[in-house]
Amino acid sequence: MNGFQQIDKLSGVAGAAALVVLAVAPLVFPGNYLIGVLTVAAIYGIWAVSWDFMSGLTGRENFGHSLFIGVGAYVAGVVNVQMELGPWWSLPASMLLAVAFALLLGFPTLRLKGPYFALAMLSAAVIMQRLMLIFWEYTGGEEGIQDIAPLIRNNLHYYWFVLVVLAATTFILSWMARSRWGLILRAIRGDEATCLAAGIPITTYKIVSLVISAAFAGLGGALYAHYQLQVSPQLFAVVTSVTIITMVYVGGMGTIYGPVGGALLLTLLTEGLRNFGEWRLMIYSLLLIFILFFLPNGFIAPLWKRVRSGWGDRA
Amino acid sequence: MSSVLLEVDSVDKHFGGLHAVKQVSMQIRRGEIVGILGPNGAGKTTLFNMLTNFIPPDNGRVIFNGQSLQGVKPHKIVTLGIARTFQLCRPFVGLSVLENVLVGSLGPRVRHDGLGDRAMQLLKQVGLEAKAHTPSELLSYGDLRRLEIARALAAEPELLLLDEPFAGLGSSEIEAISSLIRQLHAEKQLTILLIEHKLREFMQLVSRVIALDFGEVIAEGSPAEIVAHPKVIEAYIGKQTEMAVHHAA
Amino acid sequence: MEILIYGAVTSAIYAMLAVGFTLIFGVARVLNLAHGSFYALGAYGTYVLTSIVGLPLWLAALLAIAGVSVFGVVVEKALIRPLRYSQLGVLMITLAVSLVVEQALFLIFGSEYRNVPAFIDTKVSIGGVDVAGQRLLTLVVAVVAIGALYLFIQRTRLGSAILAISQDAEAAKYMGIPSDRIFSLVMAISAALAALAGVLAGPFLSVQPSMHLLPIVKAFAIVIVGGLGSIPGSILAALMLGYAETLVAYLISTSWTEIVSVLATLLTLVFRPAGIFGKRAAF
Repeated sequence: MNGFQQIDKLSGVAGAAALVVLAVAPLVFPGNYLIGVLTVAAIYGIWAVSWDFMSGLTGRENFGHSLFIGVGAYVAGVVNVQMELGPWWSLPASMLLAVAFALLLGFPTLRLKGPYFALAMLSAAVIMQRLMLIFWEYTGGEEGIQDIAPLIRNNLHYYWFVLVVLAATTFILSWMARSRWGLILRAIRGDEATCLAAGIPITTYKIVSLVISAAFAGLGGALYAHYQLQVSPQLFAVVTSVTIITMVYVGGMGTIYGPVGGALLLTLLTEGLRNFGEWRLMIYSLLLIFILFFLPNGFIAPLWKRVRSGWGDRA
Repeated sequence: MSSVLLEVDSVDKHFGGLHAVKQVSMQIRRGEIVGILGPNGAGKTTLFNMLTNFIPPDNGRVIFNGQSLQGVKPHKIVTLGIARTFQLCRPFVGLSVLENVLVGSLGPRVRHDGLGDRAMQLLKQVGLEAKAHTPSELLSYGDLRRLEIARALAAEPELLLLDEPFAGLGSSEIEAISSLIRQLHAEKQLTILLIEHKLREFMQLVSRVIALDFGEVIAEGSPAEIVAHPKVIEAYIGKQTEMAVHHAA
Repeated sequence: MEILIYGAVTSAIYAMLAVGFTLIFGVARVLNLAHGSFYALGAYGTYVLTSIVGLPLWLAALLAIAGVSVFGVVVEKALIRPLRYSQLGVLMITLAVSLVVEQALFLIFGSEYRNVPAFIDTKVSIGGVDVAGQRLLTLVVAVVAIGALYLFIQRTRLGSAILAISQDAEAAKYMGIPSDRIFSLVMAISAALAALAGVLAGPFLSVQPSMHLLPIVKAFAIVIVGGLGSIPGSILAALMLGYAETLVAYLISTSWTEIVSVLATLLTLVFRPAGIFGKRAAF
């Protein structure tokens, strides 16, 4: 026995089943609208899972995840439109640049105790947003970069591609979270000083998990750019980060799979709220307050755990 | 291989105006169990913090296994072979007992195969086997101490620093932990340095005592010698600690 | 000369924002991300009370500040206190509050810039430079307000209680100091200062629903540089940042002013994380 949790058969089966359902849904309910919504939901899923891997496990909450998303998206735009390279080049380029930012921001802030990391990330995202506007000659300002080429022209096929990326992301990060890496991250959440005494270079681990988190977030950003076919400074907005954090809360912090459910649920909810137009963000924020008070452990993951133990009793 | 495992050479520490540790020197030989005695505020924990470089000394050196610890980062200390427990038990909240011990063995010093089995072995030795999958924050105080010890041992140290292992425990618990320490010392060829201010159990456990007061060494010797030492008595009578109680008992 | 005055005005506004932010952190260990909202509400409140309700400007301003103070206390009691066990829970909830406020302002007022009337419309000439009277007023009021706060903390019993709690909350409780009530008081002061900044700066800085973000970013940069929890640190850092930005705006271009706070924050975090006067080093 090597002592680490494994992804057990039941979870694996459930995950595969969910994947199949998601893939098949647009065939059952045809129409570009559903495909669009599900594509966006899947991309949010990638963002939520990447956030959970770092912040959900270590407890060091990153309030500027939108920075990595925006960077990934803008890189896709620049590479595709301004550098006129083929669209597939965006993916590695986005991840690379997101990683660079993660290192730049992570180094000074993650070795410190206290709220510095969270606030620095928040400030960085806000400042990036402003910078996109200030240097409008390069970034297109308010309107951003337009006319990005799609990766795959067929909407349905692109959706399936995104779904595959989501599945891969979730699987990889889940696996890591259950390995000794995840154990260390959770120990860091438990007590940093004791980790040091046990010989763990906590700052290194924190920075590396931020880098991994950023890489996937940037990838999601590029995927988003190639879906929307344009990018704007709005991507850097605090609202994006908060939405993702809400999804993770709803899904269950630190579970990795929960946030996927959270992303799906909240994206569908947002679509349903379209009728409320401008009230959407307001409702979202109020929802967040509600969740913080009444559902700090989330909704999706606890539900799944209860279903599982019910199953276990029967088996 | 020299017989002196740890050499502390005139370490000194100021905290602002407070001279917490004054030129303390000591030599710990391989295989000893040495106790550091002193009333609260004597500088014992600060000393431990300096031995593990959590706080670097202002002056003086700490030499372990012939190597100076100066400039060695706190998380590398374990790699060299020193493990410590903390006065206030700090389990990894959110992790099970087994996972806590596992984390202790993840440093580069330990072989990487069979970690789970080794962790369970340790839990067996400290008597926590049955609670392996309990969330660690739910443990009783006595069990937390055992967990602390198991976690420290997971790194397979040569030198084990125990910071007040008996604090907050009842006398039967103290007895149990004490014999556990003795057992582990014999089985694993550890060198142990422990801080306590509860005299009686301490006296039966250690072979040598170093007494501190106000940051400096006031006496050194066997337990019997220390108990009779005038300076030690003076330090304690002035503070009315368990010494009087234990001697009366 | 222009730089001297404009720099001072900018510093004054920043100082008011930063002092309030660092005060509530130093005393209650609360990082209030809704602090910017107090600033915004001060400006909008004055706008509503004077342009819509028709009250005289000075009255509108006072009421707005008082209202924001009360709002701050309500937020503290109802939302922040229950989550105090988790510093990050506090960050989340205050962030959520700031978003709700921003959305509410957007829904009610729309996204165009609003005009908050100035107290002093005329320009004043100092040392050969024409300065808007409003800006000078801001400077003067800021100095008075912060000076008053300083005296309050140093000279009154209540002030000593605040100092005591900021040094050791547990010990203060044992001494019978009613920490909870003091937290509310400090929050009220913090909110009032931010609202005051909004009222004074509204006429010459932009008033729109997302105006709360930049103050938070600036306040954060200032308290990092000055040291979290240190009022003198915040004042000093506010001066440094205010002047640095003004210099950059004059010598390079206004677009580059953001970089100043970014650089300052990054440099501080890398070289001296505790800030200038930080008493709690971050590690």
